[in-house]
Amino acid sequence: MTDIDETIVVTGVGVVSPYGTGLDCLQAGMLSGKCCLEPTKDVYPGFEGMTARVQGLAPLEEDSSSRYSRTDRLATVAARDAMANSGHDSSTFRESGIVMANTVGGLTEIDTGIAEDPAAWYRRRGSLLRGASYPFAHVADAVGEHFGIRGPRCAISVACASGAMAIALAANMLLDEAAPIMLAGGSDPLCPFTLSGFNSLRALDPNPCSPFDQNRNGLNLGEGSAVLVLETLTGATARNANVLAVLRGWAMTNDAFHTTAPQKQGSGLADCIKLSMEMAEVSGDEIGYVNAHGTGTPLNDVAEANAFETAFRGRNRPIPVSSTKSYFGHCLGAAGALEAAITIMAIRSGALLPTLRLADPIESPGVDWLRGEVKRQPLPLAMSVSSGFGGSNTVLIFGSGHS
Amino acid sequence: MTANLPTVTITGIGSVSPYGPLAGLIPQCPLEPSVITAWTSAEPRRAFLVQPFRPASVVPGLKTRRLDRLSVWALVASSLAIQDAGIDLSQVDRSRVAVVFATAFGCVELTEAFYLSAAANGWNGTDPATFPETLASAPPSHVSLFHSLRGPNVTVSNKDFAGESALIQATSLLRHGQADLAIVLAGDALARTLYSWYEAAGLLSPACYDSGPLPEAGGFIPSEGVAALVMESFGRGDVRPYARIGSGRWAAGGQRAEIVRQMLGGSVPSLTVCSGNGAPCATSSTTALAREISGDGAVIIPSQPFAGGLAGTGALFHLILALSSRPIRGQALLLGTAGDSGFAALLLELL
Repeated sequence: MTDIDETIVVTGVGVVSPYGTGLDCLQAGMLSGKCCLEPTKDVYPGFEGMTARVQGLAPLEEDSSSRYSRTDRLATVAARDAMANSGHDSSTFRESGIVMANTVGGLTEIDTGIAEDPAAWYRRRGSLLRGASYPFAHVADAVGEHFGIRGPRCAISVACASGAMAIALAANMLLDEAAPIMLAGGSDPLCPFTLSGFNSLRALDPNPCSPFDQNRNGLNLGEGSAVLVLETLTGATARNANVLAVLRGWAMTNDAFHTTAPQKQGSGLADCIKLSMEMAEVSGDEIGYVNAHGTGTPLNDVAEANAFETAFRGRNRPIPVSSTKSYFGHCLGAAGALEAAITIMAIRSGALLPTLRLADPIESPGVDWLRGEVKRQPLPLAMSVSSGFGGSNTVLIFGSGHS
Repeated sequence: MTANLPTVTITGIGSVSPYGPLAGLIPQCPLEPSVITAWTSAEPRRAFLVQPFRPASVVPGLKTRRLDRLSVWALVASSLAIQDAGIDLSQVDRSRVAVVFATAFGCVELTEAFYLSAAANGWNGTDPATFPETLASAPPSHVSLFHSLRGPNVTVSNKDFAGESALIQATSLLRHGQADLAIVLAGDALARTLYSWYEAAGLLSPACYDSGPLPEAGGFIPSEGVAALVMESFGRGDVRPYARIGSGRWAAGGQRAEIVRQMLGGSVPSLTVCSGNGAPCATSSTTALAREISGDGAVIIPSQPFAGGLAGTGALFHLILALSSRPIRGQALLLGTAGDSGFAALLLELL
């Protein structure tokens, strides 16, 4: 991947997280060690648990109707932030492509009445528009329509690997010359449907989660969105764009093991990590940090630790790993994109964030579990790992703009 | 960047549709919408429906208990496509097999069921077995699990061109060496909430309410089903492919005739297969663009009512029905339009 036509670079990062809007806001909050998980009771009657919410999400300018779901609004604000972060106005992005991931779609705008008597539900004021926001493709359209972007639009939904996969597929689309610039990321809000689902699976930790701890007890859900501006190095150079990072490698695999559980040895994820390193033409020794999927569930974390042991076997020293879901929970379809943004942030700042509340880590001699203080070191290459229900895995490798 | 990329061919077809579960092409026979019996309504409602069948009688050993119908059809259609391609998966490196699935609405039946369980038992009393099966990516996950396929597993959507974007994304995976073989699936299941939305929005054809001949004007007839294609880049010498994939483009706007002509690079396809939904206004818009691109002498197959009833996921069925309708060879364009300027175009060499 040394040809500059085939080198994919990141020239903008937009974020909406429980810390607020913008990468700087996210960075300041996470470096301060602030945890956004809070006790929550009002998502639906009877719910008690920990969530991390985006506060004060403003409606879109012309959004006086209920045309845009909360998923759409999170994505649109993140896309606007990404374009602003790139230093160019939205006219630059007119012919851009969009790949937006989510799992919730417009479920935030729907209630149980739709299933009990749909005809009556649609007769309620505004319900037709709310129903129209249900398909997960609507998010890509919302971003495109809001900014007048007319390149190819695609939505991705592969459970919790969605956000990372959107970035991988957008990179493929740049190689195919489908568009000169791609906006790629993910968006997912909190909603009763998904909280109830994870609650029914007994996957939620009633306290703030502690990924990779021996005493971990499940995950917490959060919400947010992140969007990256991706383009080829040729395109970025031609328009004098500021290169924030290089997307050095990406890979996608499937465990083909179980509908919800990961393969215990993490073999599918280990394969994915190895494939991404092959594409990036780097060895395990060169990766300075892994932003793990790290949900905090008993099954995920052990499978992931096993994957790291396999994929980084032979490394000179243990691989530094942390889970940033300990700061603001699991944002589902947005998680992979948010964690890609955090990985880029780590490369640019040289600050490796620890996993919060990691007191007694899983035994894994090949892994350096980051905990306690923020570790500061030059970071030329870092990896972001995502997995999801149905066995999907996606791995992204980012390098500094100078690499 | 697209030079010297491997050739991608379509070597297998499978489908579950109102024509039944089928491997290969779909025999030509007239298809009428049937009365919906899955839910009650004051007056009969019609759609192109998949008739119930026993999946294990089509794919021996297939267990489908508690799955959404969409997942069941994806499993059956993928198995039939693999069978049609003559592929023995035990001889294939399954870490190099991708699954790409296009859906507009995902597992909407079990989503309805999950809502009903919340209505009946409260949000704290929902069914844990149902929740993971509501995910839009559940059908391709089951396909990977059943066939032990460990390559990329992707679920895509687009309001108008989900099927076309799945074909283009799968081609991209194969051309960039991220897989050697791809199972591409596209389709949706019709549920009460969906049908009621079409109805409330005034999008349905009069034929949904009347059993007379299909009218020329107004609305479309919803349909359901899943089509599957096997696409590969390793060129097995002993297999005659249905088609070779050329270039593809889709966008939400722009000068579409100009962009498609640029994509065609001066060649004029002898056949254009119109995808997109089956409403007469959408059909006439696509055929007009096809005429503009290919000239008056070109053969244009308009959008088919059944495939058009699948909203954004009908492209694979449009292609299969065109291949099934006549012995055709040469360059063909799969073309869809949406709104004032949205389009999807995929160039194929029919073999």
